[in-house]
Amino acid sequence: MRPDLLLRLACALACGAVLAACATTPVQPWERAHLARWDMRWDPDSVQTAMKQHAYFSKEGSSGTIGAAGGGCGCN
Amino acid sequence: MRPSAPLAALLSAATALLPTARANAADSDEASTRASYRFSEYDEDALHGTVVGDPRRYRVLSQQLAVDTKLDGGAWGVKLDATHEVMSGSSPWFVAPDAQQRPVQVLSGATIRDHRSALSVALTQNPGASANTTYTVSYSGERDYHAAAIGAERSQPLDTATTLGYGGSFSHDLVEPTDATQYNRIAHATKNTASTFASLSWVLDRDSVLQAGVQVNLGHGYLTDPYKLFSYGADILAERRPDRRVEAAGLVRYRHSYAQIDAALHLDYRYAQDSWGLTSHTLEASWYQGLGHGWRLVPTLRWYSQSAARFYAPFLAAPAGQRFYSSDYRLGTYGAFTTSINVRKAIGRWEFSLGAERYHSAKGLALEGGSAAVPALVDSTRVWAGLDFGLD
Repeated sequence: MRPDLLLRLACALACGAVLAACATTPVQPWERAHLARWDMRWDPDSVQTAMKQHAYFSKEGSSGTIGAAGGGCGCN
Repeated sequence: MRPSAPLAALLSAATALLPTARANAADSDEASTRASYRFSEYDEDALHGTVVGDPRRYRVLSQQLAVDTKLDGGAWGVKLDATHEVMSGSSPWFVAPDAQQRPVQVLSGATIRDHRSALSVALTQNPGASANTTYTVSYSGERDYHAAAIGAERSQPLDTATTLGYGGSFSHDLVEPTDATQYNRIAHATKNTASTFASLSWVLDRDSVLQAGVQVNLGHGYLTDPYKLFSYGADILAERRPDRRVEAAGLVRYRHSYAQIDAALHLDYRYAQDSWGLTSHTLEASWYQGLGHGWRLVPTLRWYSQSAARFYAPFLAAPAGQRFYSSDYRLGTYGAFTTSINVRKAIGRWEFSLGAERYHSAKGLALEGGSAAVPALVDSTRVWAGLDFGLD
């Protein structure tokens, strides 16, 4: 599959997800017990994630995630 | 070090008050102080095939310590992250053509030994509120590389289901290569990186959330690797890269809870593109499975694919005046597949963690096949052990 096709597919999926999000029924605060679980966090183990991202950063051409970026290092 | 008697009594009392079925020490956001320690070992496989130099590659031993606590009655959250790493091994130096113009990887002759220390401090205003701001200062230092960065990010609910996130950071890096005179390397150089991001998060239903975001990085200054050479016709020159790089990435993250079986699914996707012509796709899936009695298992699969930067080539047998050239495998076309497993066990306020990860890269794993050889692709193994402690 060509990358531009994959990009369009990814954009279409993202747009579909956004539209789906707009169409959802509001979830009340007392209905959010499952969403408050530790395993539903965007990043349940930030210390481990930092080391994992550091390892990927040292050997891949792209890097980054959602959030403010930190400083660089001599590994890349 | 043994805990003092009052502290031991306090810990014992606190542990006794906890229900034994408590799922996870990290489950509770009410813990006002949390401390985490991780030890990890990262090993790259020796290079196979025809190589010149020591084929053994990098080995890194890392220790991380993080402390997260609240100040001023909970009005501020402060998080300290400290990292220390010891690195050793050889790294790819340049690629030379053999008599049949096939690429032969040359590795650095001497074993590199270095260590890196990094410290990050993050201050969050109103950490318990849905709207909050985090300010970050960080520093990373090696013998030949120093980076200082500042950043700020804001989380702001737009309605009961939607949250806006945005922020930015700036990093100033100083490069001072070792043996600069002996190897005719640049003695001193700097680079600056400015980053900004924005995201939207939605609560889709009682069990799922979605986040979409964009990130843009602007790098300027000395973006070349001072240790890498390049086979340019009959000459071996220092590699050259442009002094500006703009990177843009789109990211989507999805989380779905299967609370009835004590599990959750994590799906992450990232598309990235930069002004050097490099594009990449990253897809990652994790499954968080509770097993009862405080045990938890987290298997993860990750696939990564990138296309080459415009100026990547293993070597130029007949150069035609190219201004930029690099044989750094990290700028070539390849893909990588990662598998990992993490086992966690919570006992009262303590949580123990063990994990292992295997990273395999190959040209055949890339979405598109580039014609240029990438002889220094890396396979690696990472194992880690950790300990977390939460205190109300």
